[in-house]
Amino acid sequence: MEKQTHINFRVSKIKKNLFLAISFFTVFAALQLLPNSVFAQDLYVGAATVDITPKLPVAVDGQMTVRIAEVAETPLTANVIVLESKGENTTVLVSCDMVTIPTELKEMIQNQVKESLPALDTKKIIINATHTHTGGVVRDNRYNIPEGVTQVKDYLKFVSDRVAKTIVTTYNQREPGSVSWGISHAKVAYNRRAVYEDGTAKMYGGTHEANFIKVEGFEDQAIQSLFFWNQKGDFVATCINVPSPAQIVENRSTVNADYWHPVREGLKEKYGQQLVVAGWIGAAGDQTPRPRYDEFAEWRMIALRNENKSPDFAEHSGEVNFRNEYHLNEIAGRIIRAVDETYETVKIDKHEAPVIKHEVNNIELPMRVVTETEYNHALKMRAEDMKDAESAQIFSRRIVWYSKVVDRYEIQKSNPQPMYPVELHALRIGDVVICTNPFELFTEYGIQMKARSNAMQTFVLQLVGPGNYLPTKEAVRGGHYSAIVESNEVGPEGGQILVNWSVAMINKLWPE
Amino acid sequence: MIFLKHQFFTLLFLSVISFQGYTQSENEDNLKVGWSTADITPDMPVLVAGQFHARLSEGVMDPVTATILALESGEGTNSEKTIWISCDLVGISDGMRATANLRDEIRNRVIKAIPSILPEQIIVNATHTHAAPYVASTASVEDIYGVSLEQMADGKPAMSPSDYIPFAADKIAEGVISAWGKRKPGGMSLGLGHAVVGLNRLQALKHGKSRMYGNTNSPEFSHIEGYEDHSLNLMYFWDINKQLTGIIINIASPSQVSEHSYELSADFWHDTKVALRKSLGDSVYVLAQASSAGDQSPHVMVGSKAEERMQKLLGFAEEGTGRGSNAHRKYIAKQIVDEVTDLFPVMKANIDWQPEFKHEMKLVPLSRRLLSEEDVAEATKEAKTWQAEYDKLKAEVRDNPAMIETPRWYKDITISYSKLRRGLVVSERYELEKVQPKMPIEVHVVRIGDAVFATNPFELYLDYGMQMKAQSPAIQTFIVQLTGSGSYLPTKRSIEGGAYGAVPASTLMGPKGGDELVEETLSIINTMW
Repeated sequence: MEKQTHINFRVSKIKKNLFLAISFFTVFAALQLLPNSVFAQDLYVGAATVDITPKLPVAVDGQMTVRIAEVAETPLTANVIVLESKGENTTVLVSCDMVTIPTELKEMIQNQVKESLPALDTKKIIINATHTHTGGVVRDNRYNIPEGVTQVKDYLKFVSDRVAKTIVTTYNQREPGSVSWGISHAKVAYNRRAVYEDGTAKMYGGTHEANFIKVEGFEDQAIQSLFFWNQKGDFVATCINVPSPAQIVENRSTVNADYWHPVREGLKEKYGQQLVVAGWIGAAGDQTPRPRYDEFAEWRMIALRNENKSPDFAEHSGEVNFRNEYHLNEIAGRIIRAVDETYETVKIDKHEAPVIKHEVNNIELPMRVVTETEYNHALKMRAEDMKDAESAQIFSRRIVWYSKVVDRYEIQKSNPQPMYPVELHALRIGDVVICTNPFELFTEYGIQMKARSNAMQTFVLQLVGPGNYLPTKEAVRGGHYSAIVESNEVGPEGGQILVNWSVAMINKLWPE
Repeated sequence: MIFLKHQFFTLLFLSVISFQGYTQSENEDNLKVGWSTADITPDMPVLVAGQFHARLSEGVMDPVTATILALESGEGTNSEKTIWISCDLVGISDGMRATANLRDEIRNRVIKAIPSILPEQIIVNATHTHAAPYVASTASVEDIYGVSLEQMADGKPAMSPSDYIPFAADKIAEGVISAWGKRKPGGMSLGLGHAVVGLNRLQALKHGKSRMYGNTNSPEFSHIEGYEDHSLNLMYFWDINKQLTGIIINIASPSQVSEHSYELSADFWHDTKVALRKSLGDSVYVLAQASSAGDQSPHVMVGSKAEERMQKLLGFAEEGTGRGSNAHRKYIAKQIVDEVTDLFPVMKANIDWQPEFKHEMKLVPLSRRLLSEEDVAEATKEAKTWQAEYDKLKAEVRDNPAMIETPRWYKDITISYSKLRRGLVVSERYELEKVQPKMPIEVHVVRIGDAVFATNPFELYLDYGMQMKAQSPAIQTFIVQLTGSGSYLPTKRSIEGGAYGAVPASTLMGPKGGDELVEETLSIINTMW
């Protein structure tokens, strides 16, 4: 063996180091070309907004009577966020300015996306409604919509085409990103059910009555947010969970995205036009965004903030009218302040590789059973609404409402305990979870889910589906709209099963 | 009728707006406003009130104070006057539950110094901090807690409640004299904001019963028993140069984050005052009031992990985070201060220099809670159990006197004695109800402009306050609880739930008394409109 000199040793050492350096840079360069998923960075994010304002005139959805809108006061939008983890788990979040999400619409969107992206698991598309009562009618066979007005099937096709196309585009444009989450508080939810001395309850019942004894249920003032940044660090999307439906201007015969419009405008003004704002409504079947007490004080504060202009008194009612732009801006301002505060607090805690797990379950809940008395009442009320052609046109929605009770009672003769199919999602993102249900879920159920969840934050997302009220036991005892059989496909028994399922799905995502 | 009433409000509101162009000048009808504070922190250890067990204070986390607001409208003997005193105390003894009477001790000193002020023009409320000196009784500490103060203090100097009460009364009366002497023409503005501070602490369980506190992450948890009120009722006061002099902040939450502290503290009101003065000026006074909040606390019942993370990210981690922490207090303070400062410009632009000002105090007889023989039997049985426990622990101290050198050795024995006493009072109340079915309580109603303040001496469950607010003709109704010695006043549903706060030993009044309180208070308020 040749004896190695000191010089040779040095040359050899240099060569060795050079080799190591070249090797290192080669490997480094090669690694740069690999998908980011092999690194710590493994979250991909895409986000886009699409206009889903219907062609005018259009019938608007959410009240018992037919309303035709000739004017779109604000655009209606669908806000799409695509999340992908490790190049394999993909979830699509779609928030729509609509009253509910009919199953038919969901399936149309899923099918269209599948055609373009066959590898995508379209079951993992979560579509929710903000519950605006001034969006196009999406529930077929509920209203008699005159000719010359946009028809439901046409509007569903329009929405489906646009949303599906946007999902595909957004998916294809996804890029490495990061996420954070946080919580703040704002008074947006007001429980709308008042209880009186005789034990009865009334939705929107007056609290200034001498026999008023309490507000029936709880309110949840948490404003929870998810924030997404792209590879460059731009703030590109947010999901805001508000446990109060967007129905401030619910009685108008116009198209309006309700409080989400000024929320979006306000946030875009601050954070840039690229920002996608997905409105998520928490468990809020018994809530409204309009004050239920201290109305005059609220009215006065809005007036003072707006140079003494304010919502006015409702004509001849003696009640303050909050169904106007001032209150829309007031509520939007409260939400924006809460989101701003959260953003400023959590932006130092971005996650580029959060755990993402998405479970979907299809379950059945026992339906609320229609009693003979309820059946007879529905028959009688339906007959009254159908007394003449004019009445039948005006109350077409209510006639359907009563007819469903009649039909359910008939079905019960052969199937005493019918079941109601429900799709549930539980999506874990890092330390937080999003759990969905298709109902207008009374807040107490949402509180149970939050309390029993193992997640650091639990975003309860209602109206991921066709919706209808799911009341508590106490609400059923109190009665009135939203807690009567006409309003409920599922009652408190099913509500508790829903909670138990949701909690089980959530906690499965946090193995001990 | 309602329509007419609301039209009246419209006119009233427009008339208030018309004052914007008004130039302030000294005028006998103007409101005169004076402020002061009194430091009522003792300079030696005292008993700390608020728990079953005795706590001998082990230092001062932050000062406990009384904030005094003197208001006068008009001149001479017929002028309308209100002296409002907010104390960092758990309650204000008023002779209702025991012989101690801090309220009257203060009143007596004030009227002696300022004869034009009447006793009924002085209102004293407690913020319900659970880390302040004990003022509920002048009895010996051994009678209160079953252990003497000398034993607790192990021979070191300590101040008994019977000594502390005159100490505090002297300081507060001096503060009143100072505030009265400093009163100057000023104006006020009325504001409503929101802050999520008070949280309902009663958890309804699936089997139909309720509990106060506990883990909501449990399959047996059904729902939060009652409502919450996140209104922040605010009244800003200004001098004639439109400089802010002080603020009344009314919130439906007791200040009891640091409720287990052995150090004296004003709880979150301390942090709120510090933060507000930083924003609005060192000379600004803050008068804190707790609205009806018998079933409320600032403790988070659902979602505490998320709140704790936010506290850490806000940079409060060094203070400790989570339940009972200073970080939680700072977070509460931040919420209040954000809202108060947000409204500041609007309030400054809308000052009322000549608000309507009226003050009426009425002794209202309320029905005592009707107890049953079963209630008495159950409580007496519990008292016997605690008597046995107390006797056993007392014997242990006698047999092992060295144990008193162990810090806080007296905790268990004082719990047993408090619970023994708690059981025995049920029997006393049962007998008293037979001969004195009604008990008079002081209700003050103060109208200032479009706002009204309505007081009660209880830890009043929130539903009663909501009833008063909902039916009040005022634009804003400030319910002020604990203008006396307290005792829970629960609702019917809470009594059915049976949680602490609704059981016989916790209450002097029941739902009947609560309904009477609402009715009587509203009838006084209505006379002012």
